[in-house]
Amino acid sequence: MINFDNVSKVYPDGTVAVDGLTLQAPTGKLTILIGPSGCGKTTSMRMINRLIEPSSGVISLDGTDTQSLNRVDLRRRIGYVIQNAGLFPHRTIVDNVAAMPRLLGTPKREARANAMELLERVGLNEKFANRYPWQLSGGQQQRVGVARALATDPPFLLMDEPFSAVDPIVRAQLQEEFLRLQREIGKTIVMVTHDIDEALKLGDQVAVLREGGHLAQVASPAHLLAHPADAFVADFVGTARGYRALGFVTADGTLGVDREPTVRVGDDAATATVGADGWALAVDESNIPQGWVQLGRLNGAQITESDINISGTVAKEFGNLRDMLNSALSSPSGRGVVVDERGVLVGTVSAEAIVAAIRTAKQEVLAS
Amino acid sequence: MNIFDFFTQPANWVGSEGIPGAIGLHLMYSGISLLIALAIAVPLGVYVGYTGRGEAVVAGLANALRALPTLGLLILVVMILAPVFGSSLAFVLPTIVVLVLLAVPPILTGTYSGIQAADPDAVGAARGMGYTKAQILWHIQLPCALPLLLSGIRGATLQIVSTATVAAYVGLGGLGRFIIDGRAQGDYSKMAAGAILVALLALVLELAFIAIGRLVISPGLQRTTRRSRKTPAPPQPQPPAPAQVLASSAT
Repeated sequence: MINFDNVSKVYPDGTVAVDGLTLQAPTGKLTILIGPSGCGKTTSMRMINRLIEPSSGVISLDGTDTQSLNRVDLRRRIGYVIQNAGLFPHRTIVDNVAAMPRLLGTPKREARANAMELLERVGLNEKFANRYPWQLSGGQQQRVGVARALATDPPFLLMDEPFSAVDPIVRAQLQEEFLRLQREIGKTIVMVTHDIDEALKLGDQVAVLREGGHLAQVASPAHLLAHPADAFVADFVGTARGYRALGFVTADGTLGVDREPTVRVGDDAATATVGADGWALAVDESNIPQGWVQLGRLNGAQITESDINISGTVAKEFGNLRDMLNSALSSPSGRGVVVDERGVLVGTVSAEAIVAAIRTAKQEVLAS
Repeated sequence: MNIFDFFTQPANWVGSEGIPGAIGLHLMYSGISLLIALAIAVPLGVYVGYTGRGEAVVAGLANALRALPTLGLLILVVMILAPVFGSSLAFVLPTIVVLVLLAVPPILTGTYSGIQAADPDAVGAARGMGYTKAQILWHIQLPCALPLLLSGIRGATLQIVSTATVAAYVGLGGLGRFIIDGRAQGDYSKMAAGAILVALLALVLELAFIAIGRLVISPGLQRTTRRSRKTPAPPQPQPPAPAQVLASSAT
């Protein structure tokens, strides 16, 4: 556990960066620090490994006061990931990951073997090992940055806007993979971000800071959305919070999934089974949804690839209600496509059914 | 006698006055001066680059040193030292002092700007990971400084080699001998031959530096297209062309 006890940072010119912060980052959990610029989130994080020295208060790691440790020894117990990865440009990828173990005396062969394993874990295959950082994309560099921080297997991890320098598609991918990795490794993580979606998606708990270094609220993402402590927090989590909150409600058995007749590319339009509205769901040989076709408006007598409308999204059977609703809203037929873990069609669900499920979930929350 | 004759005459290839002897002496003065300049400029450059202290002073001093007239300085130092040392040291020492003063600025500038240009993200990451200051310097900043450091040394070397011709002005050997003597004797092929030899020597050393660069600089730093957020390399000191030095030392 990383514990902040009444920690402040005041600069010699009188600027208060952090004001009396008291906060716990629980063991094995991911704690997010978020807030507008100038709220002291980065300062707070950098005080943990003493890149910035606190003016007053105590920060402890599993009960050990960080001031009682030598700065270098302290930092070596904490993995560190920064925004632009900060890879060593003169070292190959594998040697970047092996850098810290080598510095601490691990034999070269062993350090490299471990580094190769870590690279694989963050989704980089061995062909990257002997390349240099400039030959990698930003997203790939950041994977290496994560692998490097894990190389000495530290119990704690600090991450300073780790995914903000990459494009949105790569960012979403890195976030998914990092969540999966964290489920395996269970590190105690403090992450700084300015992206509320990222905070709600990754955080086990989210600490919202306001300007002047005050802690406004610390809570789980779902709690933050449902019960913002004040107008500042409510504003900060955004006007879409009602919709965002659905991301934390899991679809259970009460949501009725309807059987959906399907068609395939090559089918004759005349013999195809069709819903009352003229829309039919196209699937491939493995029964994986491809998109919707409107049978009255085909280009020819048979269904072709070009007839398929791919605007609809798919939702996982036991996923959250936000994905379910999104699937229904984005579908041209108005029916949301539901698939199982392997992506195989389960059926469709109407927006009305989802709204009913949302209402039930709300009542359960209020009742409890 | 034309230039071709100068190079084909067997007599010009023997003895300390011959071509190999002159090249040897020329390289010796140059080598000693370069080593002394390295011993002064690299530690000082590392200190300035690492601490950021005294940068303005050092940069100003380096530029001032570049403006010094080589020949005038040489005569001045000879006049000061001649009464102190009786032997030929009175001429060797001033020559080396002048060459060292010439070589220090480019090496100094290359070293400190190289260290300062090391990727701040990489240095920041190393610090956060628990590298000590010495480890950051040794494992990150210095290897990253090598391209600029080496180009500083290369500039200094070329400058030394082309300027070492002035040794002949105070009666010492080296390739400048051919130029000074050629002028005194009205033997212009000899002068031209001396100039050609200096130019060839500079060319060979230039190639040697390219080879050394390939060997010691990490391929990770040898890309041709740099990311735009990197600080641009500072302008490299241009060594005067051998012909210019010859012109100034011959007048």
